[in-house]
Amino acid sequence: MQYSQKLGARPKLDVERVEMPSGLVLLLSQNRSIPSVSINAIVLAGSRFEADEKAGLAALVGELLDEGTTTRTSDEIAETIEATGGQLATFGDYQSSGVVVTLLSKDVELGLIITSDLLTNATFPEEKVQLHIERRVAQIKARLDMPRTQASDIFNEIVFAATPQHHPPIGYEDTVKKLSRADMESFYRRYYVPQNTLLAVVGDIDRSEVKRKIEATIAKWERAPKFESPRPPRPHRQIYPIEKFVTASKEQLNIIIGHVGIERTNPDYYSLLVMDTILGSSPGFTSRIPRVLRDEQGLAYTTFSNITSSAGLDPGRFIAYIGTAPENLDRAISGLRREIARIVEEPVTTEELEVAKSYLTGSFVFRFQKNSQIAQFLLEAEVYGLGFDYLEKFPELIRAVTVEDITRVAREYIDPQNLTTVVVGPLDDRGKIIKAA
Amino acid sequence: MTTLTTSADPEAAADTLSKSFITRYVEKVVLPNGLTVLTKELHDKPVVATMIWYRVGSRNEEFGQTGKSHFLEHMLFKGTDRYQKGDIDLITHLNGGANNAFTWLDFTAYYFTFASDRWQAALEIEASRMRNTTFAEDEFASEKRVVEEELRIGLDGPWEALENEVWATAFRQHPYHWPTVGWLEDLEAASGADMKAYYDKWYHPRNATLVIVGDFDRREALQIVEDLFGGVPPGPEAAPLHIVEPPQRGEKRLVIKKETPVERLLIGYHAPPVAHSDSYALKVAETLLATGKTSRLYRRLVERDQSVTKADASYHDHIDPSLFYFQHELKPGFRLCDVESATYEEIDRLKRGDISTTEIEKARRQIEASLVLSSEEPLQQAILLGQYETIAGDERIARDSRGYHYLDMLFERIAAVTIEDVAAASQEYFTEENRTVGYLMKEERVGEERGCAV
Repeated sequence: MQYSQKLGARPKLDVERVEMPSGLVLLLSQNRSIPSVSINAIVLAGSRFEADEKAGLAALVGELLDEGTTTRTSDEIAETIEATGGQLATFGDYQSSGVVVTLLSKDVELGLIITSDLLTNATFPEEKVQLHIERRVAQIKARLDMPRTQASDIFNEIVFAATPQHHPPIGYEDTVKKLSRADMESFYRRYYVPQNTLLAVVGDIDRSEVKRKIEATIAKWERAPKFESPRPPRPHRQIYPIEKFVTASKEQLNIIIGHVGIERTNPDYYSLLVMDTILGSSPGFTSRIPRVLRDEQGLAYTTFSNITSSAGLDPGRFIAYIGTAPENLDRAISGLRREIARIVEEPVTTEELEVAKSYLTGSFVFRFQKNSQIAQFLLEAEVYGLGFDYLEKFPELIRAVTVEDITRVAREYIDPQNLTTVVVGPLDDRGKIIKAA
Repeated sequence: MTTLTTSADPEAAADTLSKSFITRYVEKVVLPNGLTVLTKELHDKPVVATMIWYRVGSRNEEFGQTGKSHFLEHMLFKGTDRYQKGDIDLITHLNGGANNAFTWLDFTAYYFTFASDRWQAALEIEASRMRNTTFAEDEFASEKRVVEEELRIGLDGPWEALENEVWATAFRQHPYHWPTVGWLEDLEAASGADMKAYYDKWYHPRNATLVIVGDFDRREALQIVEDLFGGVPPGPEAAPLHIVEPPQRGEKRLVIKKETPVERLLIGYHAPPVAHSDSYALKVAETLLATGKTSRLYRRLVERDQSVTKADASYHDHIDPSLFYFQHELKPGFRLCDVESATYEEIDRLKRGDISTTEIEKARRQIEASLVLSSEEPLQQAILLGQYETIAGDERIARDSRGYHYLDMLFERIAAVTIEDVAAASQEYFTEENRTVGYLMKEERVGEERGCAV
């Protein structure tokens, strides 16, 4: 079989970056393929700025942005967007919060007005705060119905101990119940400031027209007198193996094995991306973990590994996952551990390397198909300093990776001796399978 | 090389005047062996989506043999006389593409997306696996375990458990009775020979639609299609399915006891098939009830009663009559029967025609905009075209909305829906005798719901 030597078809992006006097960064890109626009605004604040006793605060602030402003009620906001057929979502996650609006391009002005209103004038009405707290408590309980999420939550508690990342961004039942409207307002005032905000507008737009409309709306937002972004504590690499078994009456075992990962700005990110593709995160069953554990041994429907996909402002996590029947417990765990050890101990083959590079350079184009994807990319390029010429640079960065690079980064960032293993399912806390009665 | 010959098809010319941006520039060609080919050139992004749709799904299965359509989908990645095990994924991977497949009640569909300078590999693979998939016995055995694991994920999901039970109760005779993944016991009993026989029955040009959307040259593509697929025999004519679900004569109720922190309610009403004249009013009803924060059920259940975390209504297009269903997740401390009654009150408002002009206009715009907003990728457009060409082919459907032309007429039909139409359709379908109601709750809570008047 031949590797493709062709240069992958390249998406073309025409980007305009404007930094406003207030510090707000505006990113514009025109894409006329369908008559729609995506407006993505993010504030660089999230649960990474939360104390443990306020766990869940950033997520609730993000969720409540469209529940009322000084100029519009919650109903008016929803009606304004929905009457056009457009869609509005607000969110708060680990490192960012914000507003995403998608609409037909003729309605772009409305979208900008609403986005600006939510970022600058949200009021967090008391009755809405109570409604969302109650709903959130129910959602937290519902996580016990999702064994894969449950396993992931337990894994984070262990691996990210003593950092804000150990708690789920949606918080705990007892912390969420104690949150107040005052907590939300204070978080909003402190972090939702223009110099901490990025706004991307992508789609069927006229750039100068959008800039004029922005002058009339969000450009009026005043710079906060003093703003400094906090630095959360960094997680430590574990120095001994940890195993945790949690009982849940389910058909399947959900197993996560791994440890602390890397930051997105780590220069070894690209070598690790190639390593991920070889070890466990190709689509289909070309990479080692799905090929061996699913395709050859039939142990699972879902199994994978990665370290780069969670890389952000703070170090993410290296994980290998499998969902399997209880009788496969030992084979599944030893299979994952064997593949993790092998990537560290043995060099990958030249063939594996070339296949992975060919995939990464060829598939890059698919990350720029939708307006919302392009907007998301522009925001990431700004946050991590990737440069808007990243589209040209990316294939070069991937092609430069060698077999030796993979061995070096695997040894540096993966530690097969000191892994955390979490298993959720029909077993006891010592890892013994509970037989159905 | 043969010249392209096509059966006389009045729509053979590329559709440049179509009413929908999705069907605009679509060309339909039917090869002499019966293979339908839909092509649409879109040159704004350097990618091509290629799909093949087979008109076979769990609808075509039988008692004791359920889940075969879905299992077969898995086997089609295992290799052919030309491609060894792993090759299909490896070729996709080397070329930076993506592939996958999905099976549902009425169809099985496969797709590839590739950069436009190397997309033809997709056609070669589809042509090979249409008739030449190998069914090696050891591959069959290990893949069976994979499918069993997939099925177990579903068994652990509370919604899946409730959905399976409600559909199995609502449909007594029709194959929509069982879930697409099948029953675990049937799957355990399936043999490689069963799968091969099923494949030989359904995987033929006459039962397939090929869809290509994206940055390619139509003439060149059709020539390759002709070269690769033209020589495949048409295959047996599929006998039409004559299984009709008789009208339901009274409300059916069921309870699933499960250790769960969240109780769930599912109410299903028998509803008409794709392109039925009442289906458009029901789509508007679905939107009025459950799309967005201004929808009826969000306002009533999430905001006013504050009894649920999620309120949903769904109505999907299928070849045969299916269900229009409601799914709600309850907050702790609220009773399923109260949420059920509140849902009926909202349905009754629709029956009375208590809908404003602004509200129905909003719903119509939401349906139109959501189709535009979800069709940015060539693959998304290929899915819509292939799906309707596969499920809306029946002769009972008016010619102007048959097959993919369904998408031409959709907005017009939705725009024509009046308040009276929504009220009439609600009165017709949302009746007590036509519904099946499922509760999912903890065992110790079952008694507490007794004596609760619905």
